[in-house]
Amino acid sequence: MKRTVPLLTAFLSGLALVVSFFFNPDRIFLGDIQEVVLQWMTIIGGFALVLGVHSIIKVNMAKVIRKDSEWFYKLATVVSVIVMALPAMLPNSWSPLFGNGQGSIYNWLFEYVDSPMMETMFAMLAFYIASAAYRAFRARNTEATLLLITATLVMLWRVPMGEAFLRLFSDKLPDYINMFVMNGFNVSVQRGIIIGAALGGAAMSLRIILGIERTYMGKN
Amino acid sequence: MPGIWDKIATIDRRWIYFLMALSILFPTIFVFKFPVEITVEARQLYDAIDALPDSSIIMLTFDYYPSARAETEPMSKAALRHMFSKDMQIVTLSNIPLGGPTMAENTTREIAMEFNKVYGVDYVNLGYKANYVAVMQGMASSIESIFPTDWTGTPLSELPLMLKVKNYRDISFIYVVADNATVDYWISIVNAQYGIPVGAGVTAVSAPKMYAFVESGQMTGLLGGMKGAAEYERLINHEDMAMRGMDAQSMAHFTIIFLVIIGNIGMFVMSAPKSRIGTKRD
Amino acid sequence: MTFWEHFQIWLRAYLILSLFSFMYRDNKFYKFSEHVFAGLSAGYYAGLIWHTVIIQQLIDPMFVDGKWYLVFPGILGILMFARLSRNYTWVSRVSLAFVMGSTAGIYLISNLHGLVLKQSAATMISFADRGGFAATVLQVLVVVGVITTLVYFYFSKEHKGFLGGTARVGIWFIMIAFGAHFGYTVMGRISLLIGRIQFLVFDWWGGSIRSLF
Repeated sequence: MKRTVPLLTAFLSGLALVVSFFFNPDRIFLGDIQEVVLQWMTIIGGFALVLGVHSIIKVNMAKVIRKDSEWFYKLATVVSVIVMALPAMLPNSWSPLFGNGQGSIYNWLFEYVDSPMMETMFAMLAFYIASAAYRAFRARNTEATLLLITATLVMLWRVPMGEAFLRLFSDKLPDYINMFVMNGFNVSVQRGIIIGAALGGAAMSLRIILGIERTYMGKN
Repeated sequence: MPGIWDKIATIDRRWIYFLMALSILFPTIFVFKFPVEITVEARQLYDAIDALPDSSIIMLTFDYYPSARAETEPMSKAALRHMFSKDMQIVTLSNIPLGGPTMAENTTREIAMEFNKVYGVDYVNLGYKANYVAVMQGMASSIESIFPTDWTGTPLSELPLMLKVKNYRDISFIYVVADNATVDYWISIVNAQYGIPVGAGVTAVSAPKMYAFVESGQMTGLLGGMKGAAEYERLINHEDMAMRGMDAQSMAHFTIIFLVIIGNIGMFVMSAPKSRIGTKRD
Repeated sequence: MTFWEHFQIWLRAYLILSLFSFMYRDNKFYKFSEHVFAGLSAGYYAGLIWHTVIIQQLIDPMFVDGKWYLVFPGILGILMFARLSRNYTWVSRVSLAFVMGSTAGIYLISNLHGLVLKQSAATMISFADRGGFAATVLQVLVVVGVITTLVYFYFSKEHKGFLGGTARVGIWFIMIAFGAHFGYTVMGRISLLIGRIQFLVFDWWGGSIRSLF
């Protein structure tokens, strides 16, 4: 029962969406079923996101209560969650600072605190990629040399100064890079990967619908 | 000689960070302004939007995380300026839970103010709903079944623009700005099953994969990274942050190429057989 | 510039520089900013789900529009929280199965119809006029590349003989494509750094500091 009902649910919900592809949804009842299933997916999927929020509060509060090392930083995390979430949950009719629209605390904290930090975190990758390129990017064999030469050509082609440099050799060189490297070699490999991954994805989807793949349900 | 290469090979990585910072700071302050050439793919996207009738309704998606804003926000702004200049009506939404709908709200309102556009009449922000494949599939029959209200909770029935837009049949073009795989699903679900033309501006990391979709005709045009954004800014004759960043981009690329060359020269020098002149004999 | 505008710029500049200070070495300013960032991101999710799911998709439709049937997906959503309990995790299986099954149904069709068929069709050569010698060479290159790439990733048989030779050609195609990908990746990462430096130069230095002094 604990496994049969979920397996049956997965089968029926998947089947409804697969079969409705082959029919005009405006003409038959399958269209209504499809609409209901899709709507329910967006509602249930939203609850899954909240699990992470619960986890972050639980783990950090435990460390604050135990006064572990660096507990002050964990307290900052928990306070930040509350400061961001609480004003958003209060009705906008009480004050324009509440809710999620422009002018709210929620909007302001995202725009002026959260977003700049996220942008900066990822901007640091530029330093790491420079360091990694210097230390590890070596032409040790034929394949690595091919990769290195192509990367250099593309890095030059993608910037105005580099493109001007390439045009010193031939006016058509940037166009040939676009045509043969990007639309030739790159397209062929990406297409091979897309086809391979899509076939694998379709096979996995079929296994989930048919109940062969059950790892998402966890242990008995 | 090998002694110097030893030192160069083991240099503190913070000097490399410093060199990178300088290579971006210098051209940001002292501008060179090399011309930005337009690629075929960027031109294709611009022409597709330009060819649409002025009163068309476009769906513009903000499918990127805040971390990618430096590349993707110039694309969104350039796209909004292009569409608003043609008096197109825009429906925005996001499939990214962390910041997507807020960025859609703030960016669209900022550009709409430049063109005196009215919310609810000229543009609407639907916000976000979980499970993007369900969202994309669901909007084919009814947008209202997935988004009963806009981002701030106003029912769609109270927004004049949304009285005209029931599903994809009322949308002329889908302009996706993304930093992840949502583009694949806009193409494989929406374009493949419902025939709506899809064009995309993506981060540089995602761009190489998208060439396969452009070449197959599934995608109408492509902007790749900050250079793609700069190309679109040039096409709409409104230079902004992407164009300004091109000099720094150029200098940084040359710095990385220089570092790779130095690293490889060092590898060849240090792996070369040592000279026997001056070596002690037993 | 108003005081509030100055404050907003200086706050962002402080956050950017405190995070960048990690490039020199780990320190308490970086740690504090990092923890606040984690908390705000989690708080954003909470506010997002409150509005987009609880209010807009459940409470308002049920109590204002009378759509009481939405209590069923609401219950299924709440059952997801059973995952947090050690003894009652199995209760959340129905909700998970519903989402997994329906998502799999969409993926099955979109992957085959939207990706495999379309991409395979685009790979097929037509011997009709394709726009010149270069276009024909390009098309042959793409076909050879797709086939050899797929052969390289076929690991069910040992790469020996003809199969091994084909896979070898595939590796060369893959290395060129990955080289292009690396070039683009470098470009992408650097663009993110350019964005931060542009803020510090134009908004912080050029905007706030110069107007103050």
